[in-house]
Amino acid sequence: MQNQTSVAATPRAATVSTTVSKGLQLTTAFLLGAVILFAAGFVSTSAVHNAAHDARHAQGFPCH
Amino acid sequence: MRPTTPVMHRASLATDSTMLFRRIVLCALLVGALAGSLLSAIQLWQVIPIIHRAEHFEQARTSQMTEPAREVTHGHKDAGHAHPAGEWEPAEGAERMGYTLLANVLTAIGFALVMLVGMASSLKLNYVAKLDWRYGLLWGVAGYAIFFVAPSLGLPPEIPGAATADQQARQLWWLLAVVCTATGLAVVAFSKIRWRWVALGLLVVPYLVGAPHLATGPFADYPPPVAAELADLAQQFFWATALANALYWLVLGSASAWAVRRFLKEAVT
Repeated sequence: MQNQTSVAATPRAATVSTTVSKGLQLTTAFLLGAVILFAAGFVSTSAVHNAAHDARHAQGFPCH
Repeated sequence: MRPTTPVMHRASLATDSTMLFRRIVLCALLVGALAGSLLSAIQLWQVIPIIHRAEHFEQARTSQMTEPAREVTHGHKDAGHAHPAGEWEPAEGAERMGYTLLANVLTAIGFALVMLVGMASSLKLNYVAKLDWRYGLLWGVAGYAIFFVAPSLGLPPEIPGAATADQQARQLWWLLAVVCTATGLAVVAFSKIRWRWVALGLLVVPYLVGAPHLATGPFADYPPPVAAELADLAQQFFWATALANALYWLVLGSASAWAVRRFLKEAVT
């Protein structure tokens, strides 16, 4: 009896969970992209700036 | 007897639930490596030589300065490219080019992540009819407009040695231009409301605010003939970067559309 209840409840739970999860995954991927762009284009730490210097100038990121 | 079925469902759900994220990241790595390498090749041909020529003038100016004046220049955060002694920087030649390639690929991966999320979201919300090459080019053009054209109209890509306004103020204005252009174009492209065209007004907001610039101009520290030559270099740099970034964004858009069609379509819908 307990088994039947659990199995019957699973499809609805799966649908809801997957829907929420896709939005969350898209948001996470977007945030990861934003963090990478911030590191490559905006961080002003000397070593990072010097390494990415030419790429920043050439892509129009505000540099030093 | 223990109920095993729900546990099995949960296990498969956990695998499925991160599939979209993993696929987006893998696609971004692929698209980013391709677009970033291509951009580096184009830059090596027509952008990097201009940077080197500008640095030649910059170094000549720095070496002509007296020691106290040089200290003042180094102390001024926006006075030019010359760096205080002791700071790490890549060695000239292959090492410097290698770091530029790395930075270009990293940036391209970041842009690809943002673009793939945009495409996947529009697919999920049924805004896309066909994922063909025209769709990819359209996204590429939008990316170029948002991340290169809009910021460059207020803050043209700078050559080394150009004196500029406060870096944080310029970075904030760059962000403002990107966010306003992206929001304006997204509302027009995806909104169903009748007055969505009003959102195009957002595109002019950054220019009404005004990009931060020095009152004296970028080459006031140089003798007039050198300043004129640097102004000419800056003009060449603007068009060289405009061309390189246009090709880069078209490839980024097309490759992203291909990746969505090939690897993400089923995972997102």
